[in-house]
Amino acid sequence: MRRHELIVIGAGPAGLSAAIEAKKAGMDVVVFDENERPGGQLFKQIHKFFGSREHHAKVRGFRIGQELLQEAESLGVDVKLNSVVMGIYENKEVTVKKDNAVNHYKADAIIIATGAAENMLPFKGWDIPGVIGAGAAQTMMNIQGVQPGSKVLMVGSGNVGLVVSFQLLQAGCEIVGIIDAAPRVGGYGVHAAKVARTGVPFYLSHTIVEAKGTDCVTGAVIAQVDDRFQPIPGTEKELSVDTICVAVGLTPMAQLASNATCDIALLPQKGGHVALLSKCGETSVEGIYCAGDVAGIEEASSAMIQGRSVATYVCLKAGYLSEEEFQEKYDRYQAALGQLRQGMFSPENKGRNDFTVTDEGYPVSSNLLAHGYMTEDELDNFPAYTYKKAGVHPVIECTQNIPCNPCQDSCKVGCIKVGENITMLPAIDEEKKCVGCGMCVASCSGQAIFLVDETYGEGYATVAFPYEFIPVPQVGDQGTALDRQGKPVCAADIVEVKKSSVMDKTVVVTMKVPLAFVNSARFYKAGGQRG
Amino acid sequence: MRIIQHPILGEYEKGEKVHFTLDGEDMTGFEGEAIAAALKAAGIMIHRYTVKEHKPRGLFCAIGRCTDCVMIVNGQSNVRTCITPLEEGMIVQTQYGVEAQEVWEANNK
Repeated sequence: MRRHELIVIGAGPAGLSAAIEAKKAGMDVVVFDENERPGGQLFKQIHKFFGSREHHAKVRGFRIGQELLQEAESLGVDVKLNSVVMGIYENKEVTVKKDNAVNHYKADAIIIATGAAENMLPFKGWDIPGVIGAGAAQTMMNIQGVQPGSKVLMVGSGNVGLVVSFQLLQAGCEIVGIIDAAPRVGGYGVHAAKVARTGVPFYLSHTIVEAKGTDCVTGAVIAQVDDRFQPIPGTEKELSVDTICVAVGLTPMAQLASNATCDIALLPQKGGHVALLSKCGETSVEGIYCAGDVAGIEEASSAMIQGRSVATYVCLKAGYLSEEEFQEKYDRYQAALGQLRQGMFSPENKGRNDFTVTDEGYPVSSNLLAHGYMTEDELDNFPAYTYKKAGVHPVIECTQNIPCNPCQDSCKVGCIKVGENITMLPAIDEEKKCVGCGMCVASCSGQAIFLVDETYGEGYATVAFPYEFIPVPQVGDQGTALDRQGKPVCAADIVEVKKSSVMDKTVVVTMKVPLAFVNSARFYKAGGQRG
Repeated sequence: MRIIQHPILGEYEKGEKVHFTLDGEDMTGFEGEAIAAALKAAGIMIHRYTVKEHKPRGLFCAIGRCTDCVMIVNGQSNVRTCITPLEEGMIVQTQYGVEAQEVWEANNK
């Protein structure tokens, strides 16, 4: 039996952050993780995160993972990998299986940071090879470097479904469609819009009826659903796909908390059964805590802060932090968490679909929720879209209150203002002159900012847009401009291509289009019919 | 198919090229990658057949949780191929129930 002051279970964003915080304060901490590599699911996240600077906004998930690992390593945090925690027993005794041996450990405090598991959806043929979880798709393409399939149907339009769809496109796969039984896109509108503009169709109020195939998936039958989510006969449609990717939510993995006799409750807004926690993250069993997705499904950004916050309380109880030190850190972390937990998609608004206006009073787009992209009429309600000025200027198609403000930080001339409350929509300061640097375009995690110049001359305008695919268009290329749903609208000539290390692989591409298409041209594809 | 160049990740760091066999056939992959990744790159979809209904199963969760992708590796059944690193010379077999094909066929005559 080995003793430690603190045992952390899970080396994902919450667990690692907790261990770092405790180790920094001087505690003797050990982390167990069943995986071969630490970092949990962070290393699969190749998109730029939301939030503000203190939440690592506009940094890609895997880079945040690298930073976290470096911090843990430099502090000498002991992370034991391939170590499965089998159970938590009386007096905080823990059994750990590694290499076919079981060892016993004991601690004064235990932080459970086991994360979440993917939900599944049973349908006819769901067990045929080729039906995979969204996480599996991410593992294959972003960790292993292998395409999960070539023609993919995405089931689920929450943030996971949308983000993974975009990543599948980046990996060179085709997305045949995104379906959701709900009548509205579940994830951020900006995530939907960046997929829709590549031409991916959205089928809302649709469910999967059947996966076709015997040895592997050869097709998918989808159908429209009624208001009780039942398939409507006669609306079936067969799609030719080899992969069906299921992204229908996550469930906290609270088994260890349950096993440790912590009080558990079914809380749908937290994603399932979770341990009941004090405001400092302690379960009903003294000295046992939960942090991260196991305490309720949120983003990795929240999990990291929760881990740190819970650990500060553990440090206080163990005498490693004074009351004042604790209070200062705790308040700071709670304030940071509070910022992330605001807006239309906050945990307390989970499942709400009755928003008709933004916090600013602008009508929300119904087309965005039904089809994944906005109409020009709807965008006309948003001042950061309609703003016009001679010369180059930003056009911002960010229309939902989500916690994010890198656009404000990225603008050196102060053109873009979000303000103290980071869920407010970005506004354009008309007094400041845009210099066309493109930093806002590259820093917007939702890829919702464009630089437009209606006065380019001779009946032409330019539109600069973010581009994260290969091959990257080159100056002089002639191709086709696509609109917000990926439909070809006009010929486009590439006139500028900006790359830089601070933009971190988001290339800002500028295309020249006829002035008449300046409000519709939002993406580009090589080739196509011109004229 | 393998992703040769990725717009965000660039080139993937891979181990040495290694040889292994699947049901006696020569295969190649990279040391340290998941066995399932090497199989997927080669277009292999079926990892095993279920005990009772003899239905095919393949990769599903890819994080070692669902056990759908288990195969016989170096004679050991029920190895989770999605989290087991590939090594030179590995003998990988499609799993029938919990056995190799010939054992399963002998028992199910």
